[in-house]
Amino acid sequence: MHWFRFAVFVLIVTVLQAGLADIVAVTNLNIKPDLLLILLVFFAVYCNTFEAIITSFVIGFAADIILFGFPMGSRMISFGLFGTALAYLNRVVTIKKMPYQSVAIFITALLAGTLAHLLDSFRGQTTASNVFAVIFGTSLYSSLVGPFLFLPSAWWMRIKVGRLS
Amino acid sequence: MLFTWFLLAGFIFLLAPQSLTNKFQFAFTRVFRWPLSIGRNISLSARIQQPLTDVVSRREFDKLQNHLANVTEELLEKHKQIERISGLRDRLHALEGAKLRLADVITASIDGSRCELIINRGEDDELAEGQFVLGDNSIVGTVSDVSPRTAKVKLITDLTSKIAVKIRELKTIIQGSGQNSVKVQLLSIKHKVEVGDEVYARKKPGFLDAPVKVGTVARCKRDDENPLLWDITVKPACDVEKLKDVAVIIMNPQE
Repeated sequence: MHWFRFAVFVLIVTVLQAGLADIVAVTNLNIKPDLLLILLVFFAVYCNTFEAIITSFVIGFAADIILFGFPMGSRMISFGLFGTALAYLNRVVTIKKMPYQSVAIFITALLAGTLAHLLDSFRGQTTASNVFAVIFGTSLYSSLVGPFLFLPSAWWMRIKVGRLS
Repeated sequence: MLFTWFLLAGFIFLLAPQSLTNKFQFAFTRVFRWPLSIGRNISLSARIQQPLTDVVSRREFDKLQNHLANVTEELLEKHKQIERISGLRDRLHALEGAKLRLADVITASIDGSRCELIINRGEDDELAEGQFVLGDNSIVGTVSDVSPRTAKVKLITDLTSKIAVKIRELKTIIQGSGQNSVKVQLLSIKHKVEVGDEVYARKKPGFLDAPVKVGTVARCKRDDENPLLWDITVKPACDVEKLKDVAVIIMNPQE
């Protein structure tokens, strides 16, 4: 694992998520792909469990830091928890094919988003009434574009993807 | 073990006061404000540009707004003119077949020798020399000179102005005295004329189809030089100095 590359990559993706993701937002719910979550799944799939735990929590921290007005920690916990769970799952079920990766992104985004929302609610953070629609939309959008972002991510991180389809 | 420590860190962040954790968020914004602002500007412009197909630029919008204001004002002005003209027609039924061209007074020259108005209508508006001009529903003069966009109105008080009139069915001519009054010429004392008699401009084919009031007799006495004639002074029915607009009678409009 190239940790310096990882740090730069996470920084770039965090800035992109905070500043540019709105360009590709759809519907009036402002649904956009969660680039950080896609990254989380990527590292959970292509790294070992130890690395996946670190990357999951760090990416969760990055996701927290760009959500102004929300209490920090909720995404760090949810991303860390489900990233780690995915890394362990990857030991049993290999998630190398694009459709599987897409499903993995969708389920992880759905679960992580829901847990983060519950933790936010626990901290007394008021959220919009259609928050679950947004979580579902974000999960779907991320699962559709996510697998296509795995290749450039692998190229940057010098990770051999080696998938067939 | 590592997982536990990270999870613990997460809970610490979660339970820490938000004012404290917000500092991390503000620090991130401060450090990356330049790329973030670029990204947000691009996002914003991308969103704004979408509905641009249905709107115009601010400059074009302001231009159209100004045009709209001008047209609205012009419309109101035309409405007022229509109201004035229709009111005029109600009062002057005899002018039913004539066209009344409203005109604003640009300048009024009223001194001893010259009494005239310049109005903002001209040849382009079908004005021609000799046409009668109404002011406050009475004849104030005739068109004496026309240019494409303006015209000169010789007032009845002008020294060179002569108009055929009738007083109590007596046909005579009035001539301007140069002051704010008109003299009746060559009327024998055998005709009965009294102060307060109304003076009407006589019909003039092609210019006036019905008698229209010019003024009232203000003074009536024997002429000092020729005692067989009246020396009659007529006061115009309209105060020309206060006139802001007039109506030109066009008896044979082209339309």
